[in-house]
Amino acid sequence: MAAISTRRLGKELKEIHSEGCPVGVTLVSADNFECWYFTIQVMGESEYEGEAFMLKFRFEPTYPIASPAVQFVVGNGQEAPVHPHVYSNGHICASILGNEWSPVLGVISICVTLQSMLASCKKKERPTDNERYVKHAPENPKKTRFEYHDDDV
Amino acid sequence: MTEPQQPAESRDAQNDDSRSEAPTSTAPVQITPETDISTLSAAQLYDLNQEFLNDSVPTRPLVDTLVPMSVLREEYENGSGLFLQQIDELVEKGFKSIHRTRGDGDCFYRSLAFAYVSQLLASPDQAMSIATSLSLIESTSDLLDMAGFQKMVYEDFMESLTDIIKNVVGPDASGKKLDQETLLTKFQDAETSNYVVVYLRLLTSAQIRADPDTYSPFLFHPEAGVELEPREFCEAFVEATGREADHVQITALSRALQTNVKIAYLDGRSEKAEFVDFTNAVEPEMAPIHLLYRPGHYDILVPA
Repeated sequence: MAAISTRRLGKELKEIHSEGCPVGVTLVSADNFECWYFTIQVMGESEYEGEAFMLKFRFEPTYPIASPAVQFVVGNGQEAPVHPHVYSNGHICASILGNEWSPVLGVISICVTLQSMLASCKKKERPTDNERYVKHAPENPKKTRFEYHDDDV
Repeated sequence: MTEPQQPAESRDAQNDDSRSEAPTSTAPVQITPETDISTLSAAQLYDLNQEFLNDSVPTRPLVDTLVPMSVLREEYENGSGLFLQQIDELVEKGFKSIHRTRGDGDCFYRSLAFAYVSQLLASPDQAMSIATSLSLIESTSDLLDMAGFQKMVYEDFMESLTDIIKNVVGPDASGKKLDQETLLTKFQDAETSNYVVVYLRLLTSAQIRADPDTYSPFLFHPEAGVELEPREFCEAFVEATGREADHVQITALSRALQTNVKIAYLDGRSEKAEFVDFTNAVEPEMAPIHLLYRPGHYDILVPA
């Protein structure tokens, strides 16, 4: 039997193809049900005007019960946005990717949440523990237990 | 290994909120049985507890086979006598057996779903009970739509429960009708079991969101105590996987499913295990679902 992730991701992909992505979200690749790439941009006035960031989603076979591993792509000309909840290795500290994950969320709703996380940023800076975190961080951000800095993401 | 006041399995994974601790792990501290627990930081305690849970939690099936109450009683034999008195009292009242569930934060929803289908299986008029139940569940689409959930998102979860219920009266893909044994197998299968749990979480959330006037006065952050908007409460404490249920969620779900639920509180505080009643069936005298609550954990009580 196919992994449960396939059924749900199949539906999400079908909707992306039929309805399109929200403004500022672009599908880069979704050739399988393990790893998808998107770019996100913040529309309108913000600290990130004119910038675009690439997001990598990795899915376990039990998605959407298990949350996806989501991070900004760093390298090959891609940078993680400078933001108090985004580490320079691309890992993101957002409660919906961790203890507030719910199977009602999906790839697009994560993109939109991260877009608004960037849009509401007032000061471009790295998390205070960036250096320490990046030095010890596991490859997969899901293996980190983040301290959620505040409730608005 | 088992502490009499609070057995390991009764502590749900998500119950511990010290997890909002340091995001990075530095050099691991050697913790031995001689280590004084009070010298550990919240983060170290969290890690210790997680290790403990990782060791203990996966050993129990999501819903365990039916065992006599004496099995539960044995765990408390070296502890407070009040627990034993409460257990004995439950046995005297006719609750002779228990299905224990895994302490993963989903135990209330899983227990309720299991007991709900068990009740349908035991119904003297199965055809009628199944038809009523299915039409009720199908009608929850409106509530879920109103709460803003996409059909694409919830239909698979909903179907996982309706498939099991339909199986009470008709054969499934394997050609068999549901009985207690196959019901247990289905609830031990992580995919089916967790999908049912998600449906009940969404239903609970939709019920709260649809009736903010009723629920708002009770929507607080369980640790911080601050008031929350229905949406905030539902997203963080109802829809999120592994978040355990409290009074508000139980009330909402029992209303949404129009069912009576009686929960025995085994807390070692008095000689009797008090029942808390959630009476929300159309006919108040309808036989209730019985659950057992120990701080942080729910199991399924079975009469006789």
